[in-house]
Amino acid sequence: MEKNPTLLEISHLMKRFGNHEVLTDISFTVGEGDVTCIIGASGSGKSTLLRCVNFLEEPTAGQILFRGKDAETGWKRAEYHSKVGMVFQSFNLFSNMSVLDNCNSGQMRVLKRDRKTATEKTMMYLTKVGMAPYCNARPAQLSGGQKQRVAIARALAMDPEVLLFDEPTSALDPEMVGEVLAVMRDLALGGLTMLIVTHEMSFAKDVCNRVIFMDQGLIVEDGAPGEIFTQPRQARTREFLSRVLQR
Amino acid sequence: MQLPSDFFGWVGFLLSKYGSLFLQGTGMTLLISLTGTVIGFLIGLLVAILRTVPTTRRTSLPMRGLKTGMNVLLSAYIEVFRGTPMIVQAMVIYYGAMQAGIIGRGTPIPVVAIFIVSINTGAYMAEIIRGGIISVDNGQKEAAHAIGMTHWQSMVNVVLPQAVRNIMPSIGNEFVVNIKDSSVLNVIAVSELFFMSKSAAGTYLRYFEVFAITAVIYFILTFTVTRILRLIERKMDGSGTYTILGSQTDSQSAITVTESNKEG
Repeated sequence: MEKNPTLLEISHLMKRFGNHEVLTDISFTVGEGDVTCIIGASGSGKSTLLRCVNFLEEPTAGQILFRGKDAETGWKRAEYHSKVGMVFQSFNLFSNMSVLDNCNSGQMRVLKRDRKTATEKTMMYLTKVGMAPYCNARPAQLSGGQKQRVAIARALAMDPEVLLFDEPTSALDPEMVGEVLAVMRDLALGGLTMLIVTHEMSFAKDVCNRVIFMDQGLIVEDGAPGEIFTQPRQARTREFLSRVLQR
Repeated sequence: MQLPSDFFGWVGFLLSKYGSLFLQGTGMTLLISLTGTVIGFLIGLLVAILRTVPTTRRTSLPMRGLKTGMNVLLSAYIEVFRGTPMIVQAMVIYYGAMQAGIIGRGTPIPVVAIFIVSINTGAYMAEIIRGGIISVDNGQKEAAHAIGMTHWQSMVNVVLPQAVRNIMPSIGNEFVVNIKDSSVLNVIAVSELFFMSKSAAGTYLRYFEVFAITAVIYFILTFTVTRILRLIERKMDGSGTYTILGSQTDSQSAITVTESNKEG
């Protein structure tokens, strides 16, 4: 397999909340076009890791390089955020704005695009996620699956180089999980770099080309989904998988 | 001249004689309370935004110091102005500024009145707005930051519009309180409604009749204001309808959905 250029390089990341150490020592790299799934039990630090990568939580120690430059000192925070997008478990659509304005606001305020350019881009991505007909609706008028698809379009409209997904389907009713996963599968096939925290094991197995298993703030195992799901090397990975795959 | 003998006779007599006095007083009361509430709201916004500026590990030491110092000052402002009666603030500020030579005989008294009501309201508003900001789900701010908005941008575009909607009832309260409490400014001879009523009552010594009229005027003012604010609130909520544009068979179609789907 040819080596693709490195996009994100995380080294010795550590995060403590008070005396509670959530991330002990995390190092890994994400290459361009990688679709990486992070799995692990609740409380293993997966979400915190993702939130640290996007500086929604300030890391206690460690370094994040994006395209070879330090994310904290080498990039303007706004620029970094626009290149490293994020999709949340609870969608977090701006509830004071229509679907269209949700997707336009970042483009216009942060990237300084004019309304026409922003709207064109927004409609392109809303069409891609199948939500273009709802561009006038307000978030409160949409179902969970629809909201999450709009949230994905909003993140894509910023032209990110990598998109972080923090359990994007965990807050959805079972019948809506499929529509969101279908959109994410399309994005993966389109070559978008994604870092996904998920509990959807079949999605991780089928769509990701790399799986990271975390436990107690550490990366326990890191490899191709084929290896991790069929022949995990670590006892903790085996135990976790046997628990979740039994369902 | 024959003086009236019963209540309604007196009311009619006083209204015809002092109608313009009541009107002037009402105008002044409205001017002071409306301007004071608006300026107080702006002060409150500024204070609340400043108090919620986050510090990160990259924040330099002098900036941290500056922020701590500012927070202490702002808290002191809020505590002092919430913790003392406006009637006392009026006396201290008016006579204090007089002695210091900041204002003189020529200074228009309504300006002083508006200043006092504004900074008094600002202290309450700062806390009301802070509460409004807290009431907005943290995820909204996180999403704004995640698409690259600065603290200021996320406040102006995302958090404050929602916060202000949530605190509209409290803002209305403040306005109503200001309409009524601007009456204490009569101690520094502001010609608002209470002050004018006192003048009107003095001549014929008809305190009951005059202040019955004054009470009715105050009530009409506050009642109208609360109704108008309710209308504004409803306007802010937007329409419950939206349009689904286009369908698989007909790209020009439009379906208007009137029933809003307000799920948990």
